Amino acid sequence: MEESSVNVINLNQCDEEFIKELEKFGAEELKECIQCGKCASTCPMALAGLDFYIKRIIHAATLGLKDVLLEDSSVWGCQSCNRCVEICPMDVKPYEVIQAVRRAAVRVESCPANTYEGLRNLYKNGHAVFPKGFEERRKKVGLPEKPPTLVSHEELRKKFQEVLKQTSLADVAPFKLD
Amino acid sequence: MKQVGLFLGCNIPFNRPDIEYSARYILKELGVDAVDLEGASCCPAFGTMPSLDIEGWAAASAWNLVLADEKGIDLVTGCGSCYGSLNEAKHHMESHPELKEKVNQIYAKVGKEYKGTAKISNFINFLYESVGLENIKAKVKNNLNGLKCAVQTGCHNLWPSRAYPSNEDNTFYPKRMREICEALGGAAPHYSAITDCCGMGALRSNASDKSLALFKKKLDVIKEELDPDICVIGCSSCLLQFDGGQALLAEQKKLNYQIPALHLVQLTALALGADVDKVAAFAKIPLNGVINKIKGGN
Repeated sequence: MEESSVNVINLNQCDEEFIKELEKFGAEELKECIQCGKCASTCPMALAGLDFYIKRIIHAATLGLKDVLLEDSSVWGCQSCNRCVEICPMDVKPYEVIQAVRRAAVRVESCPANTYEGLRNLYKNGHAVFPKGFEERRKKVGLPEKPPTLVSHEELRKKFQEVLKQTSLADVAPFKLD
Repeated sequence: MKQVGLFLGCNIPFNRPDIEYSARYILKELGVDAVDLEGASCCPAFGTMPSLDIEGWAAASAWNLVLADEKGIDLVTGCGSCYGSLNEAKHHMESHPELKEKVNQIYAKVGKEYKGTAKISNFINFLYESVGLENIKAKVKNNLNGLKCAVQTGCHNLWPSRAYPSNEDNTFYPKRMREICEALGGAAPHYSAITDCCGMGALRSNASDKSLALFKKKLDVIKEELDPDICVIGCSSCLLQFDGGQALLAEQKKLNYQIPALHLVQLTALALGADVDKVAAFAKIPLNGVINKIKGGN
């Protein structure tokens, strides 16, 4: 979304099916939003200066502006901090709306590359964050080279992968779940 | 002996094992048996399964909750994201029985069952409630000697409060970490930006400059209002920002001061007599002033 553009909303762009999709993905209270802006007053995305922040995302969602929402990557900068959920006077659970947009976006492959990196690490190693060189770091403080998590338990890791194969990861992962 | 399952997550065991060392040290000193959660996974992180759908999120979190259920123990974690993701997934399953049922259909295929008996705590609430301030005080070997602490609870440790089994009386005016620092012999005043976001997480991954600028705003308030000896952090992700982020800002010549930063369990470990070289093995900002003060200097 361009910062300087005048945002005249073309209501012909409203996609009611998309609103239903967002509701299905967890934005159950979306239509309760009264655009009061309390969420924006506390949202780190807004305070950090992202142009398309929580209040505007919810506004676009209530109007079903599918293309606007899926073409902008701001939802992926959400901290999941839940301040908005805590203070929303209409109990819209704005964070759930952000997550719903993300859930719609991954299904049309409209997400940052690091999303896939996290998912791949989670599936392969059991850990979304899996930096190199951890063995040396752990040795330095006298801990075993590997923590007692899935990286140390191959059989359990396979079971964990069996669990993930039963989820929507199987539909959206751009890599093979083998 | 009291038992608790130590939920490690990702950043603590892989990026900052000095926090894991400290957590194990303080649990032992406080007479708590730290049970390893063999085969635990990522919580999962908010940008992964929670961003696909609620069912996948719940199924992935349940992996860890089942491990705790099987051992009949509660969990404690030093990572705010883990605390949030696990508790929120549990909350979703508790408020939507059909979701729990779907998750259990998945788990039946691997011969497991999610019961939902395990509670998930963070180190703030664990130290404050399960151990207690008086018991902590009784174990202090190195009194913090008035060390001035600026505390950072971390957003996931506070919100969404509806998902959490225990919390601050007022989540927008947190006191528990301040009281723990005081029990260790430190001073931990309130400051106006105490609940502001540090900028770590998805914002740092997707808009690094804006994340660091947001962090600097908070840091400047801390410097101006408290000018503390140390920042004490309740979440491992926030710590990466407070320690590594400050070092990065200094490198970019955007910061003309640096305040050392430790996770709450690291500071507690120092006060309980642990070796500083292990407690803060990967701290980027030198702790000389902090150690000097604890040893009785000014």
